[in-house]
Amino acid sequence: MGKLDGKVAIVTGAASGIGPAYAQGLAAEGAKVMIADIEPSEATVKAIRAAGGVAESRRCDVSDERQVAALIRDTEAAFGGLHILVNNAAVFARYVAVPLDQISAEDWERAFAVNVRGSFLCVKAALPIMRRQRYGKIVNIASGTVFKGVPMMLHYVSTKGAIIAMTRSMANELGRDGIRVNAIAPGLTSTEYLKGRNDIPGVLEAMAKTRAIGRQEDPQDLVGACVFFCSPDSDFITGQTLVVDGGGVMH
Amino acid sequence: MMQFRGPHPSPASGRGACRSPVSHDMGEAGGEGVTHKAEEKMGRLDGKVAIVTGAAQGIGAYYARGLAAEGAWVAIADIEPADRVVAEVKKAGGEAMSEICDVSDGAAVARFVGAVDEAYGGVDILVNNASLARMDRTPVEELSAAEWDRYFAVNVRGMVECVKAVLPIMRRKQYGKIINITSGTVWNGPPNMLHYVSTKGAILGMTRALSTELGKDGIRVNAIAPGLTSTDYIKGKNNYADYLAAIANTRSIQREEVPEDLVGACIFFASPDSDFVTGQCLVVDGGAIKH
Repeated sequence: MGKLDGKVAIVTGAASGIGPAYAQGLAAEGAKVMIADIEPSEATVKAIRAAGGVAESRRCDVSDERQVAALIRDTEAAFGGLHILVNNAAVFARYVAVPLDQISAEDWERAFAVNVRGSFLCVKAALPIMRRQRYGKIVNIASGTVFKGVPMMLHYVSTKGAIIAMTRSMANELGRDGIRVNAIAPGLTSTEYLKGRNDIPGVLEAMAKTRAIGRQEDPQDLVGACVFFCSPDSDFITGQTLVVDGGGVMH
Repeated sequence: MMQFRGPHPSPASGRGACRSPVSHDMGEAGGEGVTHKAEEKMGRLDGKVAIVTGAAQGIGAYYARGLAAEGAWVAIADIEPADRVVAEVKKAGGEAMSEICDVSDGAAVARFVGAVDEAYGGVDILVNNASLARMDRTPVEELSAAEWDRYFAVNVRGMVECVKAVLPIMRRKQYGKIINITSGTVWNGPPNMLHYVSTKGAILGMTRALSTELGKDGIRVNAIAPGLTSTDYIKGKNNYADYLAAIANTRSIQREEVPEDLVGACIFFASPDSDFVTGQCLVVDGGAIKH
């Protein structure tokens, strides 16, 4: 008996990074998971199935309204409904330092198109189904960088600030439809990608020292909060942002 | 009034035989006891010991029952007798104990926590819920120094007394989950209850500072901020209808808040699911406050 038995979830951006952990965590609690990413997501699907869970994947650029509409349609066709949406897909999360005066207009637009418009488009497309069900759990992925005002990635931090505002406004607008909307703000997380970088020596360890729990953050550390916001345990919680970073930022 | 001696049997501990609590009122001599519910269904808090203060009634009683339903052995401290709640937990197949204890009395708290450690073999979770919370309107100019100090003694220092008492025990295992109950009133600052709201603001600061200080001991400290919740006490106030009308409208989920709405968050912060969350505050109020 899982907390999410009978539920259908979409997790965007779950080919790599933290997304696979969310997808696997939801599947482990009984949800049928549709994974959407611009990269191939077979590895995540395989891992879920190997653990006895149910998953499929679709290639989808969340900044493209038609692709998002197809994603929702395919999910309903494959799994019969849609209860949970984890808006995790994002660009420029890969720890590249860029002074703000060197951010091109194109890169700025791309960040907002994927991180913000993408989250909006997924919610918009999911709404008819969730409204019909009078039930929905939306989890937007924000970032601890908003609270710290991390420099050298202005486009990224700004998109994540927009996510927090969006979370609050969506909560107010959709509460009457039985749809709860919350956000998780991770700290800098030691994904496979970041651990493989050799040009940022000591950054992950230095971050660990700033935390109350003085260790690096692993994608697994975020799964509990994601499952919580997707489960009935949090049904009277909406419009909130939970920082999960070992006590680096206090919110 | 010891009910059971020895460490709480954890399913992961490898101790095969079921070591069950021998309940005094079961009238059974040593040996046979009630099978711990945890053996039948895996709860998220199996093998854990939780203290909940102020759990003789109100929201605290719901926290206590909720933690017990997930497998925790629950110890209640309250200035009122908590026998009813203890009986309810046991009837549902769980384990609980209670003692009369004023959290503002450090010596009494130390004795209580010592008794819990002896009966249950440790303390993993502390829910600092005990609080004075009279909702009668008191304009600031009518607040006496004595009443002000009493509120801070119970609502703020009382939490610290409990933390100090459980600290050596949690440090033994290098593991602990402390949950401080604050209030949505810190965000919306309602008038005519300055002492109460101020104590709840202090709890927010306390939560953050404790999390930094105790992180290296494996102790996580977080807070829950409920909105106005329909407990028996609140519903008995003659201005309850006004409160309800005024508050429900401000929520994204427009209904009254009931104690059951808070249990999930308490369990989340008490369970390993939140082990990398510390120093945080979660507002549980149907989305009136956006934090």
